[in-house]
Amino acid sequence: MMSAPARSQLEALGLSASCAEVLTHLWDYLDEQITPTSAERLAAHIATCATCRQYEEYQECFLRAMAGLKQELNAPRSLRERLATRLKGQGCGCWDKVSRQP
Amino acid sequence: MAADAGLDEARSASDVARDAAFERDALPWLDDVYRFALSLTREESDADDVVQETFLRAYRSWHTFIPGTDCRRWLFTICRNVFLRSRERQRPTVDLEDGEQDAVAAGSVYAAAREKGYDDIYARLDLAPALRDALDELAEPFRSAVILVDVEDLSYESAAEVMGVPIGTVRSRLFRGRRLLQEKLVTVAEDLGFQGAAVA
Repeated sequence: MMSAPARSQLEALGLSASCAEVLTHLWDYLDEQITPTSAERLAAHIATCATCRQYEEYQECFLRAMAGLKQELNAPRSLRERLATRLKGQGCGCWDKVSRQP
Repeated sequence: MAADAGLDEARSASDVARDAAFERDALPWLDDVYRFALSLTREESDADDVVQETFLRAYRSWHTFIPGTDCRRWLFTICRNVFLRSRERQRPTVDLEDGEQDAVAAGSVYAAAREKGYDDIYARLDLAPALRDALDELAEPFRSAVILVDVEDLSYESAAEVMGVPIGTVRSRLFRGRRLLQEKLVTVAEDLGFQGAAVA
């Protein structure tokens, strides 16, 4: 059940019921957290509504940008070397593999 | 003496098997754990300490890892616990009734951005530096939820296990985090003097 603040926000936007459903559940939809039936209903509306399609593209771009951050940041070599030394001290037989990882 | 020698050999074989499993299942996730640790600490030197402690604990506790389960999730859980203990603070609690309010509010952020012609900022600007800055400024526990789900691609269920909260709480924190990030990015676009094509 939707909270009262969310409901009043939606009412203020004056959207159709289908647009309001997309607005409310788009992230659930993109995250594949809703039932197939609901997903089909949202997809059908998005396919026919230019405003909702643009909003979906906007949110997809945002999520792609977030996912892209993963490629930019890896453990520094100095950390790998320190961890290797510590693991060696623990008797770990694969300590030398730590600094060899890409 | 012969019995001792046999014991040593048995222990060695066990150690070798453990080390091989640790190398195969745990070490490949070092970069992922580092990113998560950095998102928690915001400081590289602190992240280094958290990552080292995470992997040392994982190695010492390897017998508790269940083979075939998600090792990355297991490491993230240790990482978060190491971080929380290092800060000597309780796991933060946030009261959020649901995610709908933030989902709807994100629509309002989009509508405002669209009016200013900023609705294609993701396509037209390299927002990675701004995203990283915005993530740094994002308060816990929203930051963890966003990093785990959006950057590390964990399911809500896995993120919930790492954070030690119900799935609904992950969803609420994630939606709040996304909405706050999008608000910040619109501000960044304005500060950069981004020229959009305003919608009539």
